[in-house]
Amino acid sequence: MLRDHTSQLVEESRRAPQHWELLRALGAAVLTPPPGNAEICRGLDLPVPDGAEHTGVFVLGAPPHAAIHLGPEGKLGGEGLDRVAGFWRALGLRAPEDADHLGALLMLYAELGGAESSTADVEHADHLRRSRCALLHEHIWSWAPAYLVAVQGLGIDPIGQWADLTLQVLRSEHDTADLPDQLPLALREAPEPLTATGTVDDALDALVAPVRTGMVLTQRDLQEGARLAAVGFRRGERRFALRAMLEQDPVATLDWLLGQAHRWADVHRRCGDDPTSRWWQQRAAHTAATLEQMLAGARS
Amino acid sequence: MIRRKTAAAQPSLSERAQRVSAARKDVEARGETFYQGPSGVHLAAFPPKERWDDWVELDSRAWPRREEHHYMLVPTTCFNCESACGLLAYVDRDDLHVRKFEGNPEHPGSRGRNCAKGPATINQITDPDRILYPMHRVGERGSGQWERVSWDQALDAIAARMRAAIMEQRQNEIMVHIGRPGEDGFTERVMASWGVDGHNSHTNVCSSAGRAGYQFWMGADRPSPDHANAKVIYLISSHLETGHYFNPHAQRITEARANGAKLIVLDTRLSNTATHADYWLSPQPGSESAINLAVCQHIISTGRYNREFVRKWWNWQEYLEANHPEAPVTFEAFEDALRTIYAEFTFEYAAQESGIDAATLAEMAEVVADAGTRFSSHSWRSAAAANLGGWQITRTLILISALLGAIGTEGGLFPNAWNKFVPKPIHTPPHPGVWQELTWPMEFPLAQNELSFLLPQFLKEGRGRLDTYFIRVYNPVWTNPDGLSWMDVLSDEEKVGCFVALTPTWNESAFLADYVLPMGHGSERHDTHSYEQYDGQWLGFRQPVLRAARERLGETITDSRQVNPGEVWEENEWWIELSWRIDPDGSLGIRQYHESRAHPGEKLSVDEYYGWMFENSVPGLPERAEKEGLTPLQFMRRYGAFEISKGVGPMYEVQVPDEELRDLNVTPQGRVYTSTDKPPASNMAPVGAPEPDGQGRRPVGIDVDGVVRRGFPTPSGKLEFWSGTLAGWGWPEQAIPGYIKSHVHPDQLAPDQMVLLSTFRLPTQIHTRTGNAKWLDELAHTNPVWIHPSDAARLKVEHTGDLVRVQTDIGYFVAKAWITEGIRPGVVACSHHMGRWRTARQPGEGLGGMVATVDLDKHEDEWMMRRIKGARPYESSDPDTMRIWWSDVGVHQNLTFPVHPDPISGMHCWHQAVRVVSAKPGDRAGDIAVDSVKSRKVYEEWMANTRPAGQVSPNGLRRPTWLMRPLKPSPDTFVIHDT
Repeated sequence: MLRDHTSQLVEESRRAPQHWELLRALGAAVLTPPPGNAEICRGLDLPVPDGAEHTGVFVLGAPPHAAIHLGPEGKLGGEGLDRVAGFWRALGLRAPEDADHLGALLMLYAELGGAESSTADVEHADHLRRSRCALLHEHIWSWAPAYLVAVQGLGIDPIGQWADLTLQVLRSEHDTADLPDQLPLALREAPEPLTATGTVDDALDALVAPVRTGMVLTQRDLQEGARLAAVGFRRGERRFALRAMLEQDPVATLDWLLGQAHRWADVHRRCGDDPTSRWWQQRAAHTAATLEQMLAGARS
Repeated sequence: MIRRKTAAAQPSLSERAQRVSAARKDVEARGETFYQGPSGVHLAAFPPKERWDDWVELDSRAWPRREEHHYMLVPTTCFNCESACGLLAYVDRDDLHVRKFEGNPEHPGSRGRNCAKGPATINQITDPDRILYPMHRVGERGSGQWERVSWDQALDAIAARMRAAIMEQRQNEIMVHIGRPGEDGFTERVMASWGVDGHNSHTNVCSSAGRAGYQFWMGADRPSPDHANAKVIYLISSHLETGHYFNPHAQRITEARANGAKLIVLDTRLSNTATHADYWLSPQPGSESAINLAVCQHIISTGRYNREFVRKWWNWQEYLEANHPEAPVTFEAFEDALRTIYAEFTFEYAAQESGIDAATLAEMAEVVADAGTRFSSHSWRSAAAANLGGWQITRTLILISALLGAIGTEGGLFPNAWNKFVPKPIHTPPHPGVWQELTWPMEFPLAQNELSFLLPQFLKEGRGRLDTYFIRVYNPVWTNPDGLSWMDVLSDEEKVGCFVALTPTWNESAFLADYVLPMGHGSERHDTHSYEQYDGQWLGFRQPVLRAARERLGETITDSRQVNPGEVWEENEWWIELSWRIDPDGSLGIRQYHESRAHPGEKLSVDEYYGWMFENSVPGLPERAEKEGLTPLQFMRRYGAFEISKGVGPMYEVQVPDEELRDLNVTPQGRVYTSTDKPPASNMAPVGAPEPDGQGRRPVGIDVDGVVRRGFPTPSGKLEFWSGTLAGWGWPEQAIPGYIKSHVHPDQLAPDQMVLLSTFRLPTQIHTRTGNAKWLDELAHTNPVWIHPSDAARLKVEHTGDLVRVQTDIGYFVAKAWITEGIRPGVVACSHHMGRWRTARQPGEGLGGMVATVDLDKHEDEWMMRRIKGARPYESSDPDTMRIWWSDVGVHQNLTFPVHPDPISGMHCWHQAVRVVSAKPGDRAGDIAVDSVKSRKVYEEWMANTRPAGQVSPNGLRRPTWLMRPLKPSPDTFVIHDT
């Protein structure tokens, strides 16, 4: 058994350079806006998004930053970014401005993999492999699958195809990587989930932070939610828009949110049967249960 | 409906991986960029190079209309400070005008980043007051009357004078004085072709003391600190990180700090760099060596030095033989000696000298001692350039590196010659057969560079005269101490027969010239550059960008005047043309060095000059260019830079190949001499030239533990802890790194005197070069006197902005006070760059926002300069000149400084002992008074400290032959003749 495992690791570290190029290109495709990513998208056999599509997703609709998904406030920067930047520094690298950008993380992952494949030093290769697996476990797989599903839901085809492919590749990496049983640190020390006993502000804080609810609510989701709840959509940051919806019709809005929580629990279940995916599924399920309480309260 | 590929059409992940790899290979094979970077996410990306022919940007002023601008992006090199950072000129394809400058991402030194001075090049080339045509003086010198002449008229007149001087054996009456260095060695070779030893640099008012410290240790006169990989960075003064190699070094220091490096800054003033330091130490000026030696003493006494490195690479044997002849020549005996040499430099002693408490020094020393071989350091101007014996500040700093073994290591210190590449040119004329006594006088046999700032004194003493004197992007009246002596001699046609100013802009010196000849800015001239900015070698190319742009469009340009504004020329073409006119038929032997090799008898073109150089002298460049289907010259015109090597490492450890080891002479100290010829080298980076042995064998290496290694370009081949050169040439007491008390040491000051720091720079200006860059002028245009609140209270200076008189040994200047805790009590400071002036009759009414109008009078020996008006708005072709909102342009303090030549390095020691008093009634900011008799007296006092070659030379020569010299005249000129 141990022998098989070792063989698998050796096999993994001997991957062809092209394998890592695929990951690097997927990262660069999101990190570099059009037209700079045109050759990359063509090389990936993906349609080339135009500038508006790229900006619509990666700047406005669903920014690809770990901090938004793992940070306690669902915002850029802060603790969520510091944790990732610390990982870069631990590798002896200078953390870029957007250290937690999915594109930068995929390219870093590819760099580590490429270096691992090319070194003749077994010990060094093992060090690189462990670093790469830690990166995948702690800083990519810990949030990216849900993010990629959210991107697919934005309905922008060229970028949806990129998200499909990236999720496919990450799942493949996850299935072959040597990952610890322990949850990623960001999830082990995750902030409190949504509670039914707090104020509206408390609830809003939690609802826009994926790590607290297990849900990724994009601007597009909220617009769709407003339509389904038959309330007016007020343009603004997500927290502002959601507050307006709750103020107009709390029952309809909570009902829609409940549906979202169930949907996300299902999304996480389909993402995999690993501890991380299960954690997200449980958090979404907990959110659904909490929302049911809140809905009951609202109805009464 | 969302368009999706069917499952059947989906390639597998493996197929996609193959496909994307092939795509990358294909794109990069075309010389294009596959991964172009995240320009939309942050500001770290650049226009990909394959789109440099047609780069599209939207006109921000046209918003919300979408108006496209199409540019050609053409690389060149910044010509402001010496960093030689890469620029990209944005040439508008519609009208072929340069619209802006940004960084060149292909440049290995600056990596696409620039300080404010680079983009401000656009101000310089569009300056409405720049000089566009050759001009000749009419009326008396300095009268401000000019007539436009043709280049032919100017060239013929100047060439005729020079031809006569050369034919009459008056070669020493020709001198070219350089401000901003252009291409390494170019001007020197021009003068060598004339047989003239007339190269004069500004270096002895700049960096020669810093250089001397490096040269005596390692045979290279500049350091190359690997800041980016250091664990501890130790900077003496902020100077280099706000002035010299500012941008390339600052960005690497920032990287190192992000990776946890500690930054230690010794600077009396709270500089920009000091604000980023983990340890900011504000010492008494001149005490830096005492601090360095206390650090060394800590490393030695705690046994933290790199014993094996010291044993192998220091010339400790020579030290013992010369200083302890009774002791056995063993490393252990040297270690015993080392422990006693610096025993007196305790932290308490250093604290007493520097005014910094011993506990802080001890804490800092511990940080240094822990750095191991990742200790990078730099000492350049400021402290080294400011104090008597300032060169020892550098020498004691290197002692720290040498103790730690941090020489040639990752994160350590490299001799610059390893990280610099100077390509061999198409022609190399021999060195001249004359010795220029005006720049290399007998009193200073060890001077690091020309005694440039003493030229007026020497001319006044009748040591010589100048028939034709060129200044090249230089402003000696403004830059040098005692500038009014320069006024005296440059106004005197008996002392300077013809004064030619090669300059892009008017300046205080050009006002006095006979000919003012317009030379191009950074985007209007050719040069190559290579500077030590990390452990690698790169070559940068400066070029007239409109020439390159028009050539891309298929035009043929043969003279930079075809593309430059007005009749602005470039120097390379100018020097070639001038040389041809000096020697039109080749009979003087000059023309041959300016002729085409491909077409003998024809004039050398810059295309052939650089084409030959890039084809034949830059390793790897032809092959790299060929990959893109370009010639080497086309490659450099397209990308502006090429990295020759990276990770050079410790060159001193390189083993000498067997084929060089024949007929050897090995000295008892291990120096190895060979009779084999020196292998041809394409890198001409200057280093020391150790002498051959008595039989003419050349030094080839050093025997270390039985292996012959390259070693260092010093006489011993090792790092010279003990300098036989200093010991042998009259300064035995200074032969090892030591502490020379400054001329502004507290012991030398009267109770009411303070120290004035006058050399510090601002990162947004560079000497007077940037005076016509309006953006920079708006950022920085004045130089108040920094004064500590405690001193302000004592001197009754109540408010920032109050006027003070600062009295030097020869006069005074009036300036505004700035009360700040950013300066040490007992010390005042006033920045470089400012106080530009013109008299009412001199040209340049506007001259940007940096020049005041003054009355300048001389009564017998006393000069008085009175400020009439400061900067003000004025009408010009540039509407921004009507928007000048400031009037204060600071004070020209250098006029009030006497000369202070260091007797060893020859450096002018800039610090001044001054008295600061309240201004008198009627004083205006910027007023100046100078007594030239006092000035002369101070000069004589300092000259009395010298030990002339005639008294101390051990071998009858004027100067040690191994020391560097820009032009090295023939051996017979070194011999001292009885006169």
